[in-house]
Amino acid sequence: MIKLTGLIKRYPGRTVTANAVDGLDLEIPEGQLVSLLGPSGCGKTTTLRMIAGLERNNGGIIEIDGTVVSDPARRIFYGADRRPIGIVFQSYAIWPHMTVEQNVMFPLTVGRRKIGREAARRRAREALDMVGLADFATRPAPDLSGGQQQRVALARALVREPKVLLLDEPLSNLDKGLRDRMRDQIREVQLQLGITTVFVTHDQDEALAISDQVILMNRGHIVEHGKPQEIYTFPRSEFTARFLGVSNSLDGVATDVTEGHAVVRIGDAELKCAQAEGVRAGDEVSVFLRPESFRLSRREGMWPGTVEFSIYGGDCWDYHVRVGETLHRVRVYQEKVGLKKGDAVFLTPDQDAAIVVLRNSDAVPVVKTAAS
Amino acid sequence: MATLLETPPSTDATKPPVNARLGWRRFVNGRYITLTVASILVAYLALVPVCTMVYASLQSNFLGIGGSHWTLGNYSHTFSEPGFWPLVANSFGYAISTAVVCIVVGFGLAWFVTRTNAPFKGFARAAALVPMIIPGVLNTIAWSLLLSPEQGPVNQALRKIGLPAFDVYSLHGMIFVQAMHVVPIAFLMGTAAFSAMDSSLEEAAMASGASPVRTFFTITIRMVRPAILSAALLMFIQSISTFDVPQLIGVPGHTYVFVSKIYAALQAFPADYGTVGVIGVFVLVIAVVGLVLSRRASRGAAVQTITGKGFKATVQDIGKWRWVGFALFVLFFIIAVVMPIAMLLWSSLLPGYEPPSLHAMHDLSFKNYSNVFHRPVLMKALRNSIIISLSAAIIVTALSAVVAYITVKTKIVGRGVLDTLATIPIAVPSIVMGVGILYFYLSAPLPVHLYGTFAIMIIAFVTITMPYGMRYVVPGMAAIKDELEEAATSSGASWLQGFRRVFVPLLMPSLLASFLYSMIVSFREISAAIFLYTSGTEVVSVQIYDLFRNGTYPVVAALGIVMVIFLVILVAVMQGLSRIFGIKQRH
Repeated sequence: MIKLTGLIKRYPGRTVTANAVDGLDLEIPEGQLVSLLGPSGCGKTTTLRMIAGLERNNGGIIEIDGTVVSDPARRIFYGADRRPIGIVFQSYAIWPHMTVEQNVMFPLTVGRRKIGREAARRRAREALDMVGLADFATRPAPDLSGGQQQRVALARALVREPKVLLLDEPLSNLDKGLRDRMRDQIREVQLQLGITTVFVTHDQDEALAISDQVILMNRGHIVEHGKPQEIYTFPRSEFTARFLGVSNSLDGVATDVTEGHAVVRIGDAELKCAQAEGVRAGDEVSVFLRPESFRLSRREGMWPGTVEFSIYGGDCWDYHVRVGETLHRVRVYQEKVGLKKGDAVFLTPDQDAAIVVLRNSDAVPVVKTAAS
Repeated sequence: MATLLETPPSTDATKPPVNARLGWRRFVNGRYITLTVASILVAYLALVPVCTMVYASLQSNFLGIGGSHWTLGNYSHTFSEPGFWPLVANSFGYAISTAVVCIVVGFGLAWFVTRTNAPFKGFARAAALVPMIIPGVLNTIAWSLLLSPEQGPVNQALRKIGLPAFDVYSLHGMIFVQAMHVVPIAFLMGTAAFSAMDSSLEEAAMASGASPVRTFFTITIRMVRPAILSAALLMFIQSISTFDVPQLIGVPGHTYVFVSKIYAALQAFPADYGTVGVIGVFVLVIAVVGLVLSRRASRGAAVQTITGKGFKATVQDIGKWRWVGFALFVLFFIIAVVMPIAMLLWSSLLPGYEPPSLHAMHDLSFKNYSNVFHRPVLMKALRNSIIISLSAAIIVTALSAVVAYITVKTKIVGRGVLDTLATIPIAVPSIVMGVGILYFYLSAPLPVHLYGTFAIMIIAFVTITMPYGMRYVVPGMAAIKDELEEAATSSGASWLQGFRRVFVPLLMPSLLASFLYSMIVSFREISAAIFLYTSGTEVVSVQIYDLFRNGTYPVVAALGIVMVIFLVILVAVMQGLSRIFGIKQRH
């Protein structure tokens, strides 16, 4: 279990208002894998490093497994070497002057709870076995490929059986294909050990695929917090919607709201939108539509438009379609012959997939209480 | 989770255990103690000689009997002396010309080695670096023999083919001899700069239609300009502050520069400490201004060359010119290495000095060598040199490792100041260092008298070589990613454990280089040692100078050869060690 209360990090020399992490409250339940997701500079890595004890928080309380490990107000601070953590870095951080086994043994041979060499070796082998690298134990660490090094790093983080596993963009340095396999392996090991895990990433797909819960951060705040499918299907703010790749937005006014459904007037057209939590009649709203939430037809539809740009993406076609002043990004799957620039088409939004949020909803960070 | 390695320190969150508190006790740990001690040591070493020098220059009667008061009299007196401005002109002419010659030769050779397909590069590299092993004082002695106006074999040869003789006892003689000694340093810096260069920038210029020559001048030279500037400055400071060439070549030809003037003023009776202080401060100011300027010039530019991944300095095909490059190397090797060593070797085998001839061959013997080994004074000097330079090298290496850690890896307030302090000695001419240290330990009311001990020499050599040690260790430290230490810390390692098991092994190549360089420099150092030795603490370089002044050329030559052999062995051993400790690093 990890509990953060009012966590604050300031970097000296920057403007006073822009705290890197600004009063973060978060509780991560035992055994869950929680992703900190957000654009670079949103404070996600800083938060992870504060949990690790590699950075000092300027305010707030960090609790790991029921123990306060940092509370500047009460002058409590445990360094990283005294916290029950294991960490995996983006750059692997494998010590190049040691063999694979020596790397993994290291945590067992330092600090206050070191154990004998033979016992350490045995446990290092077990950890390497878990990540499928038992055969590489005696190799010099730099001889391994990037993916293998990252697995060594994982074994090293887990070998002393920490209470908390911290992963700082562990997949970012890997090739695309390898990334998915490594991601699955991390999740597998995490579930098998039932270890509380924090996973920092800027990649929404990674976060959605691996997490029990996703925490979306921006400018040192939590913007949204929820299960992956909730966050994906019900973004509650423009920031979330945009960050999760919803690229079409239309401004309108909510006219009729019933049970989470809203009728939104956009110019002359009216859209019946299924998802409109927290919206009242008369509110100025933005309607977000994913590129794949359109039907495209040459003959009939809601809005007449013109194709301005087309890209073939293998399993799909991406189009920019102009309707009046607005340019829509549209993705169509399973289409053999693509449309060309200048083709006249009709666009019909999929009303069930339209997401309605209050306009300027980013002004106030929307925080959903932690669901366990 | 099964077991937890680190027991939760306390489950009662309201009552933290003592050692987690942020109070003063957190300073009592290996990290803070090590860092504090190193910082204080660096500050002490860097500031004492400089401050003492400034203080002495502002005293009416420094180290004199009777009272002394603050005054600017020394300055007005020294600056208004008729000989002072010619002295400045001589010194500048000497140091600037030497720097220019070194840059042209050193960077030129470096370019051939790193960027062209000139043949036999292994030989070329060795040829350019071997002169480093010949101590300056030996180089000077060898050349003053080779080029002595009447007897020197080179001049005899020149006369034979009808060319005018080259009088070494002149300003251009000084420039030549000093340049032959410091070119390897320029070569090293040039090699580093040329091979750290991203040649795609040059390729881009060529692809834009620039000719190779134009590319060389508009792109290549521009990119290595920071390196050229900092190398030039280093050559300048080295030349303006070393003792051997001005004393052994300048003084006989009545060409005085700062160093020889300071030495003369100290040898005079009564010693003119005020003037020495003024000249010392003057030299110091010049050096500091130069350092600041070259740092400003190299800011920004240096960063560009190391960004971007996977660049490689490519090699150009220069056609037939590659053989010209090779010939230049051979020529340089003959002049800078073969001739001085041969001269020393020749003299060391003769009972008295004779120019090389068939007739003289009959007198060849190893008598001078047995003389060296049977003179207790010389053996003692050899022992002293080894003890002192070894201690200095160990201290410098340890100190640079810690200071480099502070400046590169921590965010401690004042680390910039510490970095500057550790660099200051580079701007302090070693003669100022020697005199400053001498003054301080003569005058300061210390509980222990260090004057006349090894300690004072070690202090001087540590101070002098510290910036160079830092030069090797800082880039090594910067190349170690922060995560490597963080991974150790979050594995539960204390700071000392992390330092010992992660930094030290990864830094080993840099540490060895720092150790080797400090040891060689300390071993052959004379400019500071000449002011600090007393009977009992003589070192080899000082003994060589003394013997030479007394005209005992053959023994000097033999001792010199012994010294060179010792240094060659040292370098070979260290090379072997660094191969063992060399770490295969892929990223």
